[in-house]
Amino acid sequence: MLPVQPLPGYRRPVRHRRLTRKQLRRMEGASLWLALLMLLFVQPLFVEASEQQVAHGSGQFHFLHGQERQAAPVLTTDYQVTVTGLLAETRLRQRFGNDSDQWQEGVYTFPLPENASVHAMTMTAGERVIVGEIREREQAKREYEAAREQGRQAARVDQQRPNLFTTRLANIPPGESVTVELRFQQQILYDSGEFQLSLPTTLTPRYIPGHPEAAGQREWAGGWAMPTSEVADANRITPLQVGVNDVATGSHQATIAVELRTGVPVGRVDSASHDITEERNGNTIIVTPSAQAIAMDRDFRLTWRPERGREPTAAVFHEQWQGEDYVMAMLVPGEQDQESLTRELVLVIDTSGSMAGDSIRQAREALLAALDTLAPGDAFNVIQFSSQTRRLFPTSVSATADNLGRARRYIRGLAANGGTEMAPAIQAALNGGDLSPGTDLRQVVFVTDGAVGNEQALFSQIHRQLGTSRLFTVAIGSAPNRHFMRQAARFGRGTYTAIGDLSEVATRLATLFRKMQSPALTDIRVSWPDGFDAGTQVPDRVGDLYLGEPMVLVARGAKPNGELVVSGALPGDRSWQRSLALGQAAPGEGGHRLWARGQVDRLLDQQRTGEPGTSIREPVLALALEHHLVTPFTSFVAIDSTPSRPVEDPLEPAAVPSLMPAGSAAQRIAYPQTATPAPLLMTAGLIGLMLAGVLAFIRRLWRV
Amino acid sequence: MGRMLLILVTLSAGLLLAGLWIPLKAVMAQELLTLAWARTQAAQQQSPPWPWADTWPVAQLQLPGESSALVVLSGGHGESLAFGPGQVVGPEPGVQPSAPVVIAGHRDTHFRPLEAIRPEDPVRLQFADGDWRRYRVASVRVVDSRQEQIELGRYDQNSLVLVTCYPFDSVDASGPLRFVVEATRDLSHPVSALPAGA
Repeated sequence: MLPVQPLPGYRRPVRHRRLTRKQLRRMEGASLWLALLMLLFVQPLFVEASEQQVAHGSGQFHFLHGQERQAAPVLTTDYQVTVTGLLAETRLRQRFGNDSDQWQEGVYTFPLPENASVHAMTMTAGERVIVGEIREREQAKREYEAAREQGRQAARVDQQRPNLFTTRLANIPPGESVTVELRFQQQILYDSGEFQLSLPTTLTPRYIPGHPEAAGQREWAGGWAMPTSEVADANRITPLQVGVNDVATGSHQATIAVELRTGVPVGRVDSASHDITEERNGNTIIVTPSAQAIAMDRDFRLTWRPERGREPTAAVFHEQWQGEDYVMAMLVPGEQDQESLTRELVLVIDTSGSMAGDSIRQAREALLAALDTLAPGDAFNVIQFSSQTRRLFPTSVSATADNLGRARRYIRGLAANGGTEMAPAIQAALNGGDLSPGTDLRQVVFVTDGAVGNEQALFSQIHRQLGTSRLFTVAIGSAPNRHFMRQAARFGRGTYTAIGDLSEVATRLATLFRKMQSPALTDIRVSWPDGFDAGTQVPDRVGDLYLGEPMVLVARGAKPNGELVVSGALPGDRSWQRSLALGQAAPGEGGHRLWARGQVDRLLDQQRTGEPGTSIREPVLALALEHHLVTPFTSFVAIDSTPSRPVEDPLEPAAVPSLMPAGSAAQRIAYPQTATPAPLLMTAGLIGLMLAGVLAFIRRLWRV
Repeated sequence: MGRMLLILVTLSAGLLLAGLWIPLKAVMAQELLTLAWARTQAAQQQSPPWPWADTWPVAQLQLPGESSALVVLSGGHGESLAFGPGQVVGPEPGVQPSAPVVIAGHRDTHFRPLEAIRPEDPVRLQFADGDWRRYRVASVRVVDSRQEQIELGRYDQNSLVLVTCYPFDSVDASGPLRFVVEATRDLSHPVSALPAGA
């Protein structure tokens, strides 16, 4: 064998080891080259014929229905947000343009803020505006399907998760567009003197645990996953997700305008996600992204702070709705002393595939920052999970320089891949609530994007296994599942922090760590003045409050009068009490919806934590129909009275994809086309030859 | 009549030849690719099999029961699949792998042997470093490409996914079904430098 020479360039084949056959090889090579030249002339024809990928390279997203390429409707959205006090009211317009020459049925699964209450819907088709009605979910489905079959334009909005909804639009005429307008209300997050508003525009693909279930009769939803033993509606929460270059030009663009009418002088307005411009006009501020339209590939996040020293510490709003009085009160317990308790800190990091890209970098930084807060005497451990759960140390170890060094090396080496099997990780992290010896409290920091489909089961698990631990969730990435984050923290009696960008890690975590090192206000009791229906207060039980967090309470039943008294306990048998005069209430809208949504959540919680014997369906239905709220049991439906599609014309289903969140590594790719036209060509050729043979034979017969 | 018959015969023969040309090309190209793969391994750099090719060999794949290994090209597009199986997802040189290896091939040429593959069958894969990695087939399933996509998050870096069209004897070149073979790396066997077919 000859040594391989470092040839300049490798155009020339390296001499083959069988030198005796060198000449033969050359001839073979030459003939192959000639053959290749020939086939490369023919090649483009075949490539064109065999390349029909669902989403390949740039260009418009096509949904493969049967054998045809179907253009997905062009989607543009517009958010008009008005913030008054602690509530934001949003008018969201989704416009679906049908560029194809077929009638289409569009299906679009989209995220909303995790605490959004959808309370109105209209459909605009051409000149006609049809106001949507709230209906029981199954009935809405039946009405929609009947209208679809009759060729009438119809729209329906279902809730799949508290932060995930589906719009369906039947009979979008070819070449035209239909607009669905939703109105939703959400509570603004107020924490440590800062207001936060986030509007999600896309979602992180959720991991679906469990085994696939046998296919049954299902409504087509355009999801990429099949229902499994653990996520029965997996097909409805997994819209196809594509890159920003895979949708038509101008599709998946959002325009946003946020009007702040806060009532307090606002200092700074910031967005960690987009460049913004603000226009101040007296006490109102209008904030828009600097770019006219933004790609729907990340949450739009806005924060604002009142001027220094003007931070509200209490507020009362009153609303009268359909003869009932609703009072909403906000109270910030205020600064508390630092305490020096020894802690057992368990850091849990999600290293599943959905974290690949920017997310895992943010998560690593977050963990490293958390390690820096450990003091001598504290204990800690690091747990990572994807398809499997792994602990750095078998049990928590003390925070010595040696152990910390090991943990830092371990964290820096973490890479993201695999599934998101979260249940074993939660179990390992909570550890049955057993405290490490010599420590006073057990805190779990859970860093994840929450991209799972089995939220309910995980909440129940946290509720059951929490013990004395406290669970602090840290949301990572451009489009985390905030519903999971918030609820997991609530059941885990901790708090929730969102990080959307590497530059935010330090500041956001500093706030979190301050909270974790300050005593929490526990055992909070609220007493309303006479006349109020204290039993239906929202939230029904105030959870533990950490430093800088407000409590927001809603009750109905009486005019705002008298005093609201709130008391709680601090560590070391200290008690805390504050009272709030309700007579100073300012008028405010939306309190009844907050109240109704709170009642619905309370009922759904009961089901989740397994209080048996009560059917929650009927009470939820009654509340939702009265207050016009979309819930798991109610949907909006709007139906045009006159048919527009001739029934004989076909209706093509067309799923509207969502964009992949910015900064995430590609997680899902289309199956390539993996067959050649060879069998077809050969079959056609053979049939032709046989036909010719038969014809020749017949001709011979004729001649004879 | 005679002329029409002649045209029919010529056209049919043309179609037949065009149809036969595809598998022939697939076989011949592998010969050329073997040379390019040898160059790639020797030089440890990307080496296109012919000067104007927009794909290059990245690995060699040994399917069970086959006498010789297939040279795997980069990319899962039609351009590369005509000549060899294409690596849709794979490790990048010099980077710690964090994703599975996904290889697609035409069901009527290179990946025809997948029809007979069964769970527990061994599959081997060699990258430019020359080490043969052993995999064992974990599952074989058929999916609908209109409803599912390849979900990389489900696999780790020790997974190998082979994709081809299904059913194997269909004449429809753009059917929606895919045949998916999932294999996991057999880590009990250390990597070996055995040549192909040994």
